[in-house]
Amino acid sequence: MSVKHVLTTCPYCGTGCNLFLAVADGRAVGVIPCKTDETSQGQLCIKGYNAHAFVHHPDRLTHPLMRKGEQLTKAGWDEALQKTVDEIKRLVAEHGPDSVMVLASAKCTNEENYIFQKLARAAIGTNNIDHCARLCHASTVAGLLQSFGSGAMTNTIPEFEDADCLLVTGSNTLEAHPLIGARMLKAMEKGAKVIVIDPRDTPLSRIATISMRQEPGTDVAWINGMINVIISEDLYDHEFVAERTTGFEELRELVKSYTPERVEEIAGVPRQHLIDAARTYAAADKAMIAYAMGITQHSNGTNLVRTLANLAMVTGNVGKESSGVNPLRGQCNVQGACDAGALPNLYPGYQSVEDAEVRAKFEKAWNGELQAHKGMTLTCAFNQALTGEVKGMVIFGENPMMSDPDIGHIEAAIQKLEFLAVIDIFPTETAKLADVILPAACYAEKDGTFTSTDRAIRVVRKAVDPPGEARPDWRIACELGRMLGNDGFAFDSPADIMNELAAVAPIYGGIDYERIDRENVRWPCPSKDHPGTKVLHTGSFKIGKGVFAIVEHTPPMEETDEDFPFILTTGRNLFHFHTGSMTRRSVKLQRESPEPYVEINSEDARQLDVLEGQSVRVSSRRGSITLAARVTDWIRPGTIFIPFHYAEAAANKLTNNALDPIAQIPEFKVCAASVEKA
Amino acid sequence: MRIAFEEMKADRLLAARTEHGNVAPVLLARGDVPGELRTDVPYQMANILLRVVPYLGSDRVAVVARKCDEKAIAEMSKRGLLDPGKVSLIGLACDARQVSECRCSDPCPSKVHIGECVKAAPADKEVEDLLAKTVPERLEFWTAQFRKCNKCFGCTSNCPVCFCDECLLEEKTFTPEKGIPPGFAFHLIRSIHLADKCVECGECERACPADIPLLALRKMVNRDVKELFGFVAGDGETTSPLLTTLDGEPMEDDHDVC
Repeated sequence: MSVKHVLTTCPYCGTGCNLFLAVADGRAVGVIPCKTDETSQGQLCIKGYNAHAFVHHPDRLTHPLMRKGEQLTKAGWDEALQKTVDEIKRLVAEHGPDSVMVLASAKCTNEENYIFQKLARAAIGTNNIDHCARLCHASTVAGLLQSFGSGAMTNTIPEFEDADCLLVTGSNTLEAHPLIGARMLKAMEKGAKVIVIDPRDTPLSRIATISMRQEPGTDVAWINGMINVIISEDLYDHEFVAERTTGFEELRELVKSYTPERVEEIAGVPRQHLIDAARTYAAADKAMIAYAMGITQHSNGTNLVRTLANLAMVTGNVGKESSGVNPLRGQCNVQGACDAGALPNLYPGYQSVEDAEVRAKFEKAWNGELQAHKGMTLTCAFNQALTGEVKGMVIFGENPMMSDPDIGHIEAAIQKLEFLAVIDIFPTETAKLADVILPAACYAEKDGTFTSTDRAIRVVRKAVDPPGEARPDWRIACELGRMLGNDGFAFDSPADIMNELAAVAPIYGGIDYERIDRENVRWPCPSKDHPGTKVLHTGSFKIGKGVFAIVEHTPPMEETDEDFPFILTTGRNLFHFHTGSMTRRSVKLQRESPEPYVEINSEDARQLDVLEGQSVRVSSRRGSITLAARVTDWIRPGTIFIPFHYAEAAANKLTNNALDPIAQIPEFKVCAASVEKA
Repeated sequence: MRIAFEEMKADRLLAARTEHGNVAPVLLARGDVPGELRTDVPYQMANILLRVVPYLGSDRVAVVARKCDEKAIAEMSKRGLLDPGKVSLIGLACDARQVSECRCSDPCPSKVHIGECVKAAPADKEVEDLLAKTVPERLEFWTAQFRKCNKCFGCTSNCPVCFCDECLLEEKTFTPEKGIPPGFAFHLIRSIHLADKCVECGECERACPADIPLLALRKMVNRDVKELFGFVAGDGETTSPLLTTLDGEPMEDDHDVC
């Protein structure tokens, strides 16, 4: 009998808590928090404590499967890989490399995502590589890149604790990033003022200094309104604005019309609250903005992110400790998947595929010609599959049949594909539609790294063996690359892959396994002797001067009407994670939140004659689902909320596929819906 | 290593050592390479012992234990969760900082192998301050504290004496699955369930991401149990008053609400 404790990184949100997996006789049996970890400080959330629970679940995929007619039948690795390679080769030969789309995964390691994008670019010959960052922070990456020159969190997680003011919007931090929420509580304990703006009351808003419930889709208005107050009351940072920004005069003009009175009309935020919030934020010496999907998942998401950057810049709250703009990334490695180049327009390290010099560097490194135009986004790829332009997909560890907007549309697109391969740990809703399924190893069964939301490269260590014949994704992708005839996939270990990533992506230049084994390093880290970077944009912005964006309020793409009088917004709860494939197979998490539900304001419920727990049918222009009503005062009247974890009542059957024109992120956060008794 | 395997003739050693730039709990067997063992053990080793015991078979284990671990292990053995004959304690004395953090009244292990004993902390000021409040003030205090609870179950997961077979905190009539924060019952059930077991190690408070002063709550309940029943958890002999018929015990005295 043996018991060992393996230090690794939590597979859920992007906080990057390190924890010990307790392994007894080859099985993961429990979790012990790591007392000396800088991020988690020996504390975890309920998901972290249950990170072992799904690892040995009987539903795990243990051998390859191939479609024979309607049936998926057991197959050998050789024939399943060969079929996949043959289909990719056929599609490339008949329709060109852009007929194939590769989806990478924010649940896989940096090393694996590096291989996925190399597989697409160097072995298949297309920039058609994307992943679920398109659905969460694509607008952050695009927006902050334009405002500051870098699309990542400007600060680190521990810094939240020392801020004087926290402005939290579109982030239910205590539920979605509990250990970041814990830092916010500590800041409050030390006297920090906390301002929360959210259409729902969240556990944080209920104890915040100032809490405002805006109507979904009106965020530009209240942010411009705060800037209006800050400028008109002369609370802005003259020196910072003059020395470090451009476009202030245009901004001053823009916000003139966003008076507290007008903002109250548009967003439903009481004027005095808005004024108080503006004064509180501007008065703080060190103020941090934290935001998440409530800002990014809109058809104007990129501009919305830039508006928040405006707010930080007018008050000089960027570029110093505990002051900045902080997108909270939702997946354990969504930051890293972006860093590693699993994006259709960027090579590893945010280097443009359309820049000839950069491309020449990668052609040399990968020993072959690369495509000069950028590839397709995930959202675009499903649209193009419907029109027949995309004919084959290779999906590593993503579940678009649950995670993407308007699932009916996704299913129709997948049905039109000539070939779909899914590599996953569970038979997901997407895998069930595949022609080939390859079983993958989960985080507990492989080595690698995740990059947390605060840019720290965190180590994932193998604790147990994969079930049956399952293999780590990096080995599967390397094998596909080799079989496609490319000799750039002969890697023996994730450490080797990291060495190549570090060689081609300057922000990772100083990263190697020996170093990160004992050191918590944050990028940019250009060389071995570089200590890594905690605060971004300290002396100047990456693009020189910060750019104020001029953004007017525009209504969301879909507005309510007589037939669909409610605004539906979607999101997570504390106990489940995304499409539920892991958490809903974890006994204690499932016990805490077993069934789908819709939150509805008690006044609305009274008018509909709906009681707590009663079954209701929620419909949008795209579909209907039936689920239990949760009657509450914690949501504003006229707005309903559905968590998107539940396959039996998938919220994304209802959501709108309207896209942000710049980042192509869908508007998950606003669509028109109706509610009736089922 | 020497104490465990030579003096104590144990088959395993449960200790802490440096791994990957962090401190890790480790279960070593005779002959294993010890690595860099630590004397500043940040883990509640009794809790880790409770988790590894099912996998030890007939092996004898030596564990690095503070006084509170020693007491928790006594509570476990009284309830038949482990065989005290198979567990040897390598006594670790808490330093002044640790004693002050826990406001500990009993910091010195029965036998000290590592460190030197320091004086117990004087009366717990946090508890005294709370008891000085009126009952409505105290209710207001705890209501504000419990509102921060994020239901991580860290207080139970890390508790060395939280070992009921079925946990009422996971039972829907007491703690319905309605998100966070959980109701008052969550914290009160836990308080009552630990009333005859809590050894005031403070691990619940350290594990709490919301910094709820759980150790103060525990100490207040323990004070009541001591006043009412003359019982203090932590020795291997005294039976919990909750497991007796209480014949002749005084039950009529009023006592403060927590």
